[in-house]
Amino acid sequence: MPRTPDCALEFEGESVSAVAGEPVAVSLFAAGVKVLSRSIKYHRPRSFFCLAGHCGACLMRIDGQPNIKACRTLASEGMKVERQNAFPSGGLDVLAAADFFFPKGMDHHTMFTAPRAVNTLMQKVVRQLGGLGRLPDPSPEPQELPAGERLRVDVAVVGAGPAGLAAAIACAAPGRRVVVFDEGDRAGGSLLSHPAHGVAAADRLAAEARAAGVAIRCRASAIAWYPEDEGGLLAVAEQPEGGGLPRLVRVTAARYVYATGGYDVNALFEDNDRPGIFAARAVGTMLIRHGVLAGARPVVLGDGPYAAALCEALAAAGCKVMPIDGVRERVVAARGRAWVSGVDVQSDGKTGPVTRKIACDAVAVATLPAPASELARQHGAEVAFRPEGGGFAVLTDGNGATRTPGVHACGDVCGFRGVLAARLHGSEVGRAIARAFARPGEGA
Amino acid sequence: MAGKVIVCRCEDVTQSDLDHAVALGYSHLEEAKRYTGLGTGPCQGKECMVACALYLALAAGRPPSEVRPFTSRPPVAAIALGTLAGPDDPGEGGG
Repeated sequence: MPRTPDCALEFEGESVSAVAGEPVAVSLFAAGVKVLSRSIKYHRPRSFFCLAGHCGACLMRIDGQPNIKACRTLASEGMKVERQNAFPSGGLDVLAAADFFFPKGMDHHTMFTAPRAVNTLMQKVVRQLGGLGRLPDPSPEPQELPAGERLRVDVAVVGAGPAGLAAAIACAAPGRRVVVFDEGDRAGGSLLSHPAHGVAAADRLAAEARAAGVAIRCRASAIAWYPEDEGGLLAVAEQPEGGGLPRLVRVTAARYVYATGGYDVNALFEDNDRPGIFAARAVGTMLIRHGVLAGARPVVLGDGPYAAALCEALAAAGCKVMPIDGVRERVVAARGRAWVSGVDVQSDGKTGPVTRKIACDAVAVATLPAPASELARQHGAEVAFRPEGGGFAVLTDGNGATRTPGVHACGDVCGFRGVLAARLHGSEVGRAIARAFARPGEGA
Repeated sequence: MAGKVIVCRCEDVTQSDLDHAVALGYSHLEEAKRYTGLGTGPCQGKECMVACALYLALAAGRPPSEVRPFTSRPPVAAIALGTLAGPDDPGEGGG
């Protein structure tokens, strides 16, 4: 997909070209801005990792508001973007000296706690080092707060990925109110980052859902289950289409379906937080949604089907891809500072571990996504640690029912299974909910 | 100079911080969270919780099957207080 910039951002006083509607993080990366933020303690350079609004690595000051996720903010003409908590600038941050002075890390429990004068001085230093952002620019007139909405439906689905959409389609029926909430700006979830599926497949599934009478609400982030309020309600923060402060939607449903998918997780190796080390799905999203290559010579770390699909797609786009399976060969360290320039890879030799150095300009980490189980857990669902499922999987019966009546889960949140299997699981769970509605005295 | 293995990106917690916590006896996830600050940053453990829980269990010699997540509390994503403080809409919509 060719990328044609059609607007300009104002990045720290300089004009940066962008495609209107793409994430600001992608615009900056495509324009060669390598460092988007500085880490909170050692002021290490950071870029985005997950590109999905989860990892917290791309918080920037945007249009005078602090701590805005650059990966969830869509570029528009004249948008003002700045880096925060760095001195004198995000590009050259002298506070990063902390990273060198404390190669083994700082233990704030014991460091400079006595004598008192040293402790007082140290507290002043730490206050300069720490913290995230500064207060918003004062607004000339008082801001009007967005009015909330009260919504009663039959089925509330959280997550418009393959599982959530399939579940909604399977339980939709004339007269039944089924609504799907998704934090993204477009329905599709993991379809949107998968080279074998992509935007077209996501749009088809979303169109099928709408045709079945399902309401899909994007930019609508489910933030909590509040059991004490109004007999229990799902709180959703929904961003208006034209921007502005999200409004609160208070949702009550006969049935809740958590199809929240999984979070991207980094691998553990030295300097694994270097800019240029991305979640594999971020690399996939950039490639298939935004027409931006993460690098010309990327390392893809992982041995699953997603890693294989990404390698194929990157190679087809002209990259020199270096797959590292993470099992037979393991990445033990990253090289480079403001951007990754290589990785050290270790394998088992006849007489011990053998290390080789690989030069690269990006790393795509394809570890198993960790089930996003927070909301289901707040709503009473039980989880268990499943290494093969990526982490804490929501436990359900064969019909996707959790131990809490009316609360269901499907897809990768029940243990990672991948796009197609998640969609099948969603369909099964949706059909079970439809059967329950059909039984007299149940459902609504 | 050896690089840092960052286990919690938001709070700059390193693998050696976890080792130190385990050495002091804080080897359960909730204890290590309180001691090192892991999982208390903007992502609230979305990226790091599983890897930290597993690392702590292995370092302390406990089976991974015993690992539990830390308690999930609202909100699961950062929101502006203005969103919660907005006036109620008296009308009621359907899906």
